[in-house]
This record gives sequence, structure tokens and C-alpha cells, in this order.
Amino acid sequence: MSAFLTSSLMHNIFGGLAQGVVYSLVALSLVIVWQSTHVLNFAQGAMAMFATYIGMTEIDRGIGYWWCVIISVAVGMIVGGLTERVLIRPLYGKPEINPIVVMVGFLGVLEALSAAIWTSSTRNIAEPFSQIFYHANGNLVYLSPFIIFQIILAICIMLLVAALFRFTRLGLQLRASALAPEVSRLLGIRVSRMLTIGWMLSAGVGAIAAVIQASGSFGLFPTNMDGIFVAGFIAAAVGGLESPIGAVAGGLLIGLAEQFILAYWSPNVAPLGGIIILVVALMIRPQGLFTKHAGRRV
Amino acid sequence: MDWWRSFFRQESTHSRLIGVTALAALTLAITFVLPPVANSELAGGAAIAIVILGLSWLIGWSGQISLGNSGFMAVGAYAAGIWAHHHNTTPLVFTLALAIVAGGLSGLIIAIPSTRLRGPYLAGLTLAFAAAVTPIAQNFTSVTGGEGGIFLNSLVTPSWFGHLFSGANAVINANAQWTADLAVVVAAVSFFFMANLFHSRTGRAMRLVRDNDVAAELMGVDLLRTRSSAFMIAAAYAGLGGALYSLLEASVRPETFPLTLSITLLTLMVLGGIGTLSGAVIGGIIYSFSADLVAHVNSLTGVNPTSNLGANMQGIIFGVLLILTMMFAPRGLVSLRTPIQKLFRILRPRRQTPDLGELH
Repeated sequence: MSAFLTSSLMHNIFGGLAQGVVYSLVALSLVIVWQSTHVLNFAQGAMAMFATYIGMTEIDRGIGYWWCVIISVAVGMIVGGLTERVLIRPLYGKPEINPIVVMVGFLGVLEALSAAIWTSSTRNIAEPFSQIFYHANGNLVYLSPFIIFQIILAICIMLLVAALFRFTRLGLQLRASALAPEVSRLLGIRVSRMLTIGWMLSAGVGAIAAVIQASGSFGLFPTNMDGIFVAGFIAAAVGGLESPIGAVAGGLLIGLAEQFILAYWSPNVAPLGGIIILVVALMIRPQGLFTKHAGRRV
Repeated sequence: MDWWRSFFRQESTHSRLIGVTALAALTLAITFVLPPVANSELAGGAAIAIVILGLSWLIGWSGQISLGNSGFMAVGAYAAGIWAHHHNTTPLVFTLALAIVAGGLSGLIIAIPSTRLRGPYLAGLTLAFAAAVTPIAQNFTSVTGGEGGIFLNSLVTPSWFGHLFSGANAVINANAQWTADLAVVVAAVSFFFMANLFHSRTGRAMRLVRDNDVAAELMGVDLLRTRSSAFMIAAAYAGLGGALYSLLEASVRPETFPLTLSITLLTLMVLGGIGTLSGAVIGGIIYSFSADLVAHVNSLTGVNPTSNLGANMQGIIFGVLLILTMMFAPRGLVSLRTPIQKLFRILRPRRQTPDLGELH
């Protein structure tokens, strides 16, 4: 058993899963926004990064790690709600290019503003669990308490989101307003409030992803979510943007694929790994691997 | 005012040729009075204007969005740079043609999966492409020179041009102005081609595909070919602009083409006006003097330019401008009518004709 755990195969699987859950969370947050307002939020990563900066720098004032996580998520949700109200709401019914451009602009503002406030140098955040790898019979296992924590936290968040959509009254209202806004409005659901709540939820999930990413060995810097966002988008697109399960599966797939390309092929082509998967997946099923209904709105 | 209007509507190849030549001649004349620093900035702006024009064509005329134009720029720049590094006696025209071909090919490769995608998927795929290009350039050190990039010989100012200058800084002045004039001429040629493309059969087909692809298909337009050719042309323009920019800088480096460059390009294009020649010119001008503009804002607001805020002022200003323009004037600065134009409207009411070039 221990020989198996220390094998290079398991090493890559653990590494891939650890990065994959972060991609899954970002993909999940993109899917929530896409379902509620049909906007692909290009500022998702930057919004999460911004919230993480505000929350996690509170550690400097001696506030505990977990309180900082809660502050980050709360700030993320407020930013998400405000973004929907102020930037996205005036653009409903406009060509789909308009919200994309506005969110790209918002991404630029957030990254420049963060660099202005907190400088662009990397800030390490004291992780809540050790990053030292376990050993089995003197050999390294690519698992540390922190990696286990990050995988478990991500799974908990995914389950929470799933439970919210599946079992609560709010979740039902959210799903109804995404599926049939007109009918939902007639049935007394405040659809516009649901759209805001959808954005808040999405931004909260995104903030968790950014907190995990920033607590790890890469640290926190204004562009630290750029690559994560691109991978998360690829994951969501591979899954089809409509399916939360597809997004999570897509994230794990991208994480594992990157790790395996890095290990067994060449680190030079690793940046292309995601894009190759995306192109292949979209050639096979342009509507995404996990969507049930084909066809698009004309 | 009729000649004025028909001139600016570019109704014939003739008027387009005259219009572009006049604008280029005016710019060339201005380079004689600008200081060398401003001329260098102008040269960069002319190169960027070419890229903006390609992006404007893609988004405004074919309705496909690309966030990957910094990637296409890098492809063109590296193709030209690697060639020029090994064969430094090649005429500039040939090197630039190579960049156009390389950019166009990379556009075609991205276009094949892209033409089946719409809006957000397409934007994301092109973003992923742009994000992948820089790390690849950094990794393949033997070909691309890695982090440090490739250094090139600076452009040679011909001796007849140098003879026009005298005085203490004759060489510096001549070099700066030669690069500016060169960039302006290349930009003018690309603008002329694009002006004709706007009004060609392909341009009309492109607009129809953008507005109603089902109708276009019924009328016999090949959707796949039209969409992918739009992508290829935009990428070729980006390749040309990127190569020209790098040749002016005399180096090709990965950090010239960060992901944020795509955002800057999009901002400049939206600011100027989507799908118009004058919009690309305005975008290029804003790019040329953006550093001065930012310095001016810094001094107006009393921000120390070396502080964190001062160093990131450009990103903040560009982002805010992009958001505000898209929300309040989505057709850009060209759509804002000056008081004088309004006056002419009141004096001579005209029949409203539908403008097909309008972004809906």
C-alpha cells in the first residue's frame, strides 16, 4: 500500500486533484453566474482576488485565519452583488459583447487597483495547515495536511452549493428564475433579486477558490487568479457552462491533465494542455460534454 | 458639405485612396515638427492602430469577439524577429509579409474550432490562446530566446533621409522620424486595404452573417468560410502590427505581449469606435500619447508617479474608460457629435438614412 502511495502515478494524481478542485470551484462559480444571467464573468478571478486581499490581509491585525476566510467570502459576495446591480443590470438585452467588454474592463480596474493598494509583490499567507508532505517508509507522498484540507474544503463547498440548489426554497426560486424568468415573475418570485443572489453566491464560491489558491505555495498577488480563471473557464466550457456537475468534472480533468502533461510529456507544452482539451472537447460536442439539450438560441 | 460627406463615407475606391493618402500625408508632415520622443511614440501608436483595426473588423463587422489579439501579435512578432535575427539583410517588406502570413495562419488554426462557437465561448478560447502564448515563448528558449527575448538590429535610416537633418542631434532626430514615417506608411497601406474590405462583397457578407446568420446562409453565404476568414484577417493584422512594433523596438520579448495587452487593445478599440477606420486612428493616437496622458492625470491629481498608485494609474484609467464607454457610448468617441456637427444638422436637416455599419 505504501509503495503504491509513493508511486509517481499517485504523486501526479494527488497533485492534479489538488489543483483541479480550485479549477472546479472557479468553474462552478462561472456556471452559477452563467445560469442566472447568461453572462460569462471575465472578472470572476479578479473579484475573488480582490476579496481575498481585503479579507486575508486582516491576518496582519492578528485576526484568526478562519475569521479572515469568512471576511473574504462576505466581501466577495458584496462585490458580486454590487457588480450585478451596477455594471450588469443596465446591460440586459444588449448584445452579448457588451457585458463581456464591461467585465474585461472591470478585470483591468481590479488588478490595477489591487497593485496600487497592496503592491504587485507576492504576499504569503500563513496557511492553517502544514504544507510539509507526508512520508511513508521514508518515501515522499504527494499529500500534505494543507492539500487534504484544500480538497475537503472544496468538496464541502460544492456539496453545500448542490444542497442549496436542490433542497432549499431559495434554490428552487433561483433555478426557476434561471429557467423561465417570465413565468417565475408571474408566480411571485422576485426574479431581479434572484439574479443578484446568483451573482453573490457565485462570487462567494469564487472567493473560496482564491483563498485556497492564495494560502498555498503560490501566494497572493494581483494577477494570481489569471491563469486559474483561464483554466476554470476551460473547465466550465468543457462541461458546457450549463451544468454544475460538468464544471466540477471539467475542473478535475483539467487539473489532472496539466499535471500529467507536465510529468510525462514536456513542461514546455503544459500551458497548451488546457487549450488542447478545450478544442478537442468543443470539436466533439460544441455545446459541452455535460449539457443535456443541444441547440442554441438564434 | 456633400463632397465632405461622400468623402468620409468612402463610397468609391478612389475616395478611399485619396482619404487614406491625405491622412497619411498630414501625419507625415506632422512628424517633421514633432520632437524625437513624440515621433517614437507615434511609431508605436501606428503599429498598435493596425492591430486595433483588425480587432475592430473582427468584432464590429463579423460579430466575433477575440481577447487573444495579443497572442496573434506575439506570433507575428516572433516570426519576424526570428527571421530577422538570422537573416538581417532581408528587406523589411519581406519580413513584415512573413509576419502577416504567420499571424494569419495562427488565426486560421484558432478559427477552425472557433467558428463553431459563439460569444463567450469564443472570447474564452481566444483568451486561453493569449494566455498560453507567453509561457510557450518563455519555455522554448532555443528558438525564442526565453525570458530575455531576441535582440534585433535597429532599423537602418537611409542616407538620403539622414541628409535632410542637420544640427547637434541630427542622427537621433532622423532615426526617430524615419521609424515614425515608416510605421505611418505601413499603417496607411493596411488602412487602405481594410477600407476596401469594409465595402467589398466579403464585407457585406460579413455584416449579414453578424446580423442574421440564418438569412446569410439562405442567401448562399458560406458561414464557416466567412467567419474563419474574418478571424484570419484580424490575426494577420495583429501579426503585422506586432511585428512592426517589435522591429521598431528592435527586440522581441515575452513581456511585450502580456494578457493585459489584449485588454488595452479592446479598450482602445471600444474607445475609438467599433468597426470604423477613424475609431482605429483615434485608438492609435490615444495609445501613442497614453503615457503623457497618464502623467498629466497624475500631476493634475497630485499623485506621485513613482508611487504604487501612480504606477498603476494607466490600468485604472483604461479599465474605467472601457466600462464607461461601453455603458454610456457603446459606439465610441466617433459617435459623439461635436456641437459644430449638431449646428450643421439643425441648419440643413437631412433625410435619415439607415446606417448599415452601425453596431446594433
